[in-house]
Amino acid sequence: MNSLQTWMHMYLLLIRTTVRSRMQYKFNFVIGSFLAAFIQISEFLMVAIVLARFGGIRGWSIHEVGYLVAVMTLSKTLYRTIADEVHHLEKYLVSGDFDQLLTRPLPVLLALMPQSFRIMIGEVMQGGFILWWSLAGMLQAGTIGWPTVWWTPFIILTGAIILFSIGLATATIGFWTTRISELQTFTEDAARSAAQYPLAIYPKWLASFLLYAIPVGFVNYLPSLYLVKGELGAWVLAVTTAMALICLAAALRFWQFGITKYQSTGS
Amino acid sequence: MLYFTLASKAYARNLQYRGAHLIHNLASAMFGFIYASIWIGVGDHASLGTYGIQGMVSYISFTQAALWVTSFISNGLGIPQSVRTGHISLDLMRPVHLFSHLMAREWGQIAYQFIYKSIPIYLIYVFVFSLQLPMQWTTYCLTALSLAGASYLAICMNYLIGISALWTTESSWLYWGNHALINLLSGFFIPLEWLPGGLEKLSWISPYPYLLYVPTSMYLERGNIAWLGGTLIWCVLMTAVCLLATRVARRKVEVQGG
Repeated sequence: MNSLQTWMHMYLLLIRTTVRSRMQYKFNFVIGSFLAAFIQISEFLMVAIVLARFGGIRGWSIHEVGYLVAVMTLSKTLYRTIADEVHHLEKYLVSGDFDQLLTRPLPVLLALMPQSFRIMIGEVMQGGFILWWSLAGMLQAGTIGWPTVWWTPFIILTGAIILFSIGLATATIGFWTTRISELQTFTEDAARSAAQYPLAIYPKWLASFLLYAIPVGFVNYLPSLYLVKGELGAWVLAVTTAMALICLAAALRFWQFGITKYQSTGS
Repeated sequence: MLYFTLASKAYARNLQYRGAHLIHNLASAMFGFIYASIWIGVGDHASLGTYGIQGMVSYISFTQAALWVTSFISNGLGIPQSVRTGHISLDLMRPVHLFSHLMAREWGQIAYQFIYKSIPIYLIYVFVFSLQLPMQWTTYCLTALSLAGASYLAICMNYLIGISALWTTESSWLYWGNHALINLLSGFFIPLEWLPGGLEKLSWISPYPYLLYVPTSMYLERGNIAWLGGTLIWCVLMTAVCLLATRVARRKVEVQGG
C-alpha cells in the first residue's frame, strides 16, 4: 500500500514537471497543439467531404461516422497520454535500458509508465471537437437521446483499456523479436485506422478480424451499434466492459510471461 | 558522376532493410484497402460519376502506391536533423551545391521506394481488386513523366521545409502543415472535381494537384496533357525559390547543437 502511494506521488510529480517544462515554450506549445488538431481534422475532413456529398455510407450518416472517429481518437489519446512508453518499448529493448527497469523495487510496468507523460492537447481538441459536432448533429436529428452522451465517456475509457491491452500485447512480443515497430504499424495503426469507419464496409473476414483477433471493433463500433444506431441491446455495454477487462487481464498475463523470456541486448 | 554516387549510396543504404520494408508493405497496403472500402461502401447507394466503383478503386490503388515517391519522402530532406547536430555547416562548405547534393541523395531514396514500396503495394492491389492495367504505351510514358515531375516537386517542397530549420526550431510544423494540405488538396483520397467549389479552385492554384491527382489521372487515361505544362511550370518556379533560399541561407548560418 505504501509503495503504491509513493508511486502515485512520483507519477503526479512527473505530470507536473512535464506540464511545466512544456509551458516554458508557451507559444510553441499553443501553435503546435492547434496545428496537430488541424492535421488530424484534415484527415477526417477528407472523408467527411465524401460522406456529405454522397450521403453517408452503408446506412451510417456523417455524424455517426464522426462519432466513431471521435471515440477512437479520444480512447487512443487517453491510452497514449498515460502509457506512451508501452508503445515505445522497442527503444528500451534495443538499447538495453530495460535492464535498469528490472532492478527497480516495483512491478516493471509501473516503473515503465512514469518514464514519460505525454500531453496531447491537439488530439484532445480534435477528438473533442468532432465528438461535440457529431453528438450535436445526432441530437438535433433526434436519432439519439441524452443517455448516449452520458455513456460516451465510459466507452472512451473501456476503449482506452482495450487499446492499451493491444499495445501491451504487441510490445510483449518484443521480448522475443526485439524489434516491434513493423508489427505495431499493423496491430495498432492500421487496425485502429480501419475501425474508425463502420466495420460494415469491410468484407466479412476483415470485420471479424477487427472484432475477434485484434479487438479494436469493441472500442467504438460495437458500443455504437447500441448507443448510436439503437441496434442489439443494452447488453452490448456489458459485453464491451467484459471484453475490456478480459483483454487487460490477458495482456497482463502475457506480459508477465514475456518478461521471463527477456534477454538483454545492450552493451 | 558524383550525383549518381550519392543517389546509389542512398539506395544501397535502404537495401539493408528491404526485408522489413516488404513486411511493412502489408500494413501500408491495409490503409489503401480501408480507403478503397470506403469508396466501395459509398458507391453502394450513390453513383460515383464517370469513375464508377471500379474506377475509384483503381484511383485509390494508384494514389496509395504513388504516395511513396511523391509524398512520403525524407522529412525536410534531413536538413532539420543536420541543423540540430551542426552538420549543416559542413554540408554548406562542400564544393557541391547544397540543393543538388541533397536532391541527388533523395533521388536514390525515391528510386528505392519506387521499387520496394510503390510497385509491391500496387501489385497487391492488382491481385486483391483485379485491376486492369493500361494497354497503351503512351499512358505509361505520360504517367512516368508526371510522376517524375511530382517527385521533383516533392523534393523541392521538402527542401524548403528543411531549410526553414535554419531560421526556426519548429520546421516540423511546416512538414505537418504540408502533410495536411496533401491530404486535402492533392487528390489523395478525393478526386479534385468532387471537392467543394472553393477548395477545388484553391487546389488548382497550389502545386498540390501535381503531386498525386495529375499522375493518377494520366495513369487512368482521364488526364489532360496540358497539365504536364503545369507540372513543368511549378518545377521551374520551385527550383528558383530553392536556389534563392539557399543563397540567403549561405550568408549566415546558426546551428543549434554541437
